Amino acid sequence: MSLSSTTSRLFVSLLLASGIGAGACSTQSSSSHGVCVVSADSALGCNGVPDPDGGATPNLGLVGYSCTGSARPDEAPTYADGVPQGVVCADRGALADGTQGYCCSEALTPCALNPVAICDAPNYGYQCRGSQRPEAFVSDLECGQGIYEGDLIDYCCSGFPQTDGCTQTDSAGCSDNMMGFICTAGNMPKAEQLGANQSRADVYRLLCSVPTILPSAQSYCCYTPALPPVGGTCVPDSLVPGCAAGRFGIACYGPDTPGQDYPGMACPDPGVAGRDAEGYLATLYCCDFQ
Amino acid sequence: MRALHFVWPALCCALGCSSDKIAGLQYQCGSAPDATVAPDAAPGVCGANDPNLPLEPTLPTDVCQTVVADKSSPDENDLDSNRIQAALAACSGRAVKLVSDGANNAFVAAHLTVDSSTLWIDRGVTLYASRNADLYQKTGSCGVLGVNDSGACNDFITVRGTSPAIVGDGVIDGQGGEPLVGHDYSWWQMSGALQEIDGSIGNPTLINLSTGTTGFVLYRITLHNSPKFHVKITSSPADGSCDAPGQGFIVWGVTVLTPSNWLNSQGLPMSPHFARNTDGIDPGTSDIATCGVIACSTISTGDDQIAIKGGHWVSDLVIAHNHFGTGHGMSIGSETYGTYQDMNGVLHRGVENVSVYDLTVDGDTRPVGDGASPADSNGIRVKSDSSRGGLVNNITFSDVCMRDVANAIMITPAYNPLFAGTSYPQFKNLTFQNIHDVTCMSPVQPVVTLEGFNASLPAGPITLDNVVVDNIGPQAVAAAFADIRLGPGNVNFMPNGLGVTVTNGITDASAPRACQFPTLPVPPVPPGWLR
Repeated sequence: MSLSSTTSRLFVSLLLASGIGAGACSTQSSSSHGVCVVSADSALGCNGVPDPDGGATPNLGLVGYSCTGSARPDEAPTYADGVPQGVVCADRGALADGTQGYCCSEALTPCALNPVAICDAPNYGYQCRGSQRPEAFVSDLECGQGIYEGDLIDYCCSGFPQTDGCTQTDSAGCSDNMMGFICTAGNMPKAEQLGANQSRADVYRLLCSVPTILPSAQSYCCYTPALPPVGGTCVPDSLVPGCAAGRFGIACYGPDTPGQDYPGMACPDPGVAGRDAEGYLATLYCCDFQ
Repeated sequence: MRALHFVWPALCCALGCSSDKIAGLQYQCGSAPDATVAPDAAPGVCGANDPNLPLEPTLPTDVCQTVVADKSSPDENDLDSNRIQAALAACSGRAVKLVSDGANNAFVAAHLTVDSSTLWIDRGVTLYASRNADLYQKTGSCGVLGVNDSGACNDFITVRGTSPAIVGDGVIDGQGGEPLVGHDYSWWQMSGALQEIDGSIGNPTLINLSTGTTGFVLYRITLHNSPKFHVKITSSPADGSCDAPGQGFIVWGVTVLTPSNWLNSQGLPMSPHFARNTDGIDPGTSDIATCGVIACSTISTGDDQIAIKGGHWVSDLVIAHNHFGTGHGMSIGSETYGTYQDMNGVLHRGVENVSVYDLTVDGDTRPVGDGASPADSNGIRVKSDSSRGGLVNNITFSDVCMRDVANAIMITPAYNPLFAGTSYPQFKNLTFQNIHDVTCMSPVQPVVTLEGFNASLPAGPITLDNVVVDNIGPQAVAAAFADIRLGPGNVNFMPNGLGVTVTNGITDASAPRACQFPTLPVPPVPPGWLR
C-alpha cells in the first residue's frame, strides 16, 4: 500500500466543484457512474453482530450502503476553511446482488475521501485533520501509516485486513543497528510493518539496503534516518549498478554526498556519473551503513 | 474579547487579586508556597502517616567499601569506572559509598553495573556519566547523529539482581547537554536532530533495571541531565505476589532536575524543551514492574515526569506525595500493549491498578524554552495509539493540583495519529477525584481531552468527581467514544462529542480542592540574569 505525499487539497476541491464525485449519500445518491442507496444493516452487519443471548444489538453509529458502478457513499466531501468534512466508509466487497457494500459513519467526520491519493488497489485514501484516524469513525477500517501534508494527514485504508507484503524479522541477517524485513516480490518495507516494540517515526518509507533475493521473497536491512538537510539532493536508489545486496545504492543530483545527507553512511568508492532508477542524471554511490 | 480572556489570568496574578473573581474559584495566585510539602523536608516527614505506603527507606548502616574522590571535575582522561565497578563487584548485598576527600568531590565513569548491591553517593558528591559515546556503544549507532535507533547505546548504570539500591544525598549527572568527546554536539542535540520526524534517539539511559530485578530501592538521590530517560524501572517482588505496596520497588525522596543549568559549559542555552526525551521515572519500560511505590519525590524535566509503560505489564503502583515542575505529565503510555503470564498461568495485560494521589504539577517553576508548544506542558495523561495500544484499567488520580499546564487532563488513543497498527488502546475504569487545575501566568486556555479509540472500543467508565479546571471554556473540552460519569462532586465542564455518553450524578456543590504549590528546585540563576 503506497501513498502519495503530494496530494492536493485544491485539486480535490476543483474535482468536486466540477461535479466529479458529486452525489451525497443521505438515503440515496446517484451520479453518472452509479448510485448508492442505504442498505438494511442485517445485510452488511455494519453495527456488529446481535447479542446471541438476546441483549441489545450494538450500535456503532454506522450506516450500510449498497452502490452500483463505481459510486461510493463517501465521494462528496467538502472542505470548510481547510477542514475536511465527509463520511468515512469501510468497503465490504460485492453483495449478493452484485452491488458493492459499504459501512459508513453516520455523522460527518473531519476526514475526506481523497480521490487523488496513490494507494495500492484495492485501498483508497482519506485526508483527515486532527488526532483521530479514520478507524476511529469506522471500526472495520484498517489504515496504514499516515503522512502529514500541512495540517492534514493522508491515509490509505481498506475495509479488509491489510496484506502487508513485508514482515519484520530478526532473522534477515542485518547488523544490530538495522531492522530486517522479508518481503514478497514488488514490496518494500513500510513504517506500518514495524513491530509494536520498535521505535517509530513520522516517516512512511524506511531507508533500506539493496535486497537479498530469496527463492520466493527478498530481504531488506533498513533504518530510519533523520531528514536530510535542507538542500540535500541524495536519494535512495536500489538500482545502482553493481551495488551488492545488503549495501545501499544512493543517487545524488548535486554536489553533496550520501554521508552528508545520511549520517553513518560510508561510501568507500567515489561516485560514478550515470542515471538513477528514474532515468535522471546523477552521481551514483554504493554505500554501507556503519 | 479573546485577548482579554487570555490576558486576564496573568493580570490577575500580577495584581495579586483573588482568582475567585474569574469564576468563583478559590486559588490565589502568588500565595505563599506550602512549607509542609517542601520537597527538601527532612527524612521521615513526607508520607509518614500514609497507611498506603511502606516505611520510608533508610540509608545503609553497613558500608562494605568506601571510594574516595580524587578529582573536582569530570576529567574524561581519568575515569573512575574501574575502581567503582570493582568495589561494587566485591560488595554483593552490601553498600559501596562514594565520598569526598574534602577537596575533591567528583567521579566520572562510563557503564556501571549495580548487581544486588547498594551504590551510595554521599552528600556533596557527584557521579558524572562519561561523555565518550564509544564507551556505551551497543549497535554501532551510539553517538551517531541523525539515526533513529532507540537501542543504540548501553545504559550508564545497569541495575539487576536482588534488592539493589542507589541511595544518598549526592548527585548523578548524565551530562546530556555537554558536547560528546570528539564531537561538537551533545546527547540532547542528537535527540533534537530527530525531532522533525518524531524519532527516538538511542542515548544511554541514566539508570536502567534489567529483567528479573526484585526489590529495587532508589532513595534521596538527585538526578541531573540524563542523555535520555532518567530511570527505567523493571522490578517486582521476589515471590511475585504483592502483599503490600513497595515490595516490588520503592522510589522515595528522589529529585530529578533536568536541565540543571541555564547554560552548558560552552554557553549554549539549556531548557526543558531542549532536553528532549528525558523522562523522569518510567516503570515498565524494559520489562514488567509491579507492586511499586514512587513517593515524596520532585521531578522537573523535559519529557514525562513519570511515564508508566505497559509494553510488558505494570500493576499495583502507588504514586503519592510527589511534586512536578516542568514536563510532559503524569503519564501512562504510550506503550500499553503488553501481556504477561505469571507463574500461576494468569495472563495480565497493559497497565492495571495504579493509584496516583497528592500530586502537584506546577508549570510555573521555570520557562520551558524556545520552541516549546502546549504539548510540552501537561498534567495528567493516558496516551497510546494503534501501533502500541492495549489495556489500561483501574487507574485512579485523586487530590491533584495543577497550575498553568496546557493539557490538564488528556486521555488520547491517538497519541501519534500517524502510527498504524491493530494494537488498539482500551482505556477502562479511569477515576479522577478532587482534581483542580488553576491558571495564573499561562496565556493558554487549559484543555481537557477524554477520548476512546472508536465505538467498538470506547473509553470508560471515566469518572469525574470534583474536577475543576479554572478558566476552561466549552471549546477546550474534547471528547469522543467515551462513557463519562460525573459526580457526586462538582465538575465545571460538560464533555460531549461523537459516541460520548454522560451520566450526570453531580449531587453537591463541592468546593474545588484547595491548592498550594511548593517551591521546587530550579537551576541556579547565572550572574546578571533577571530571574
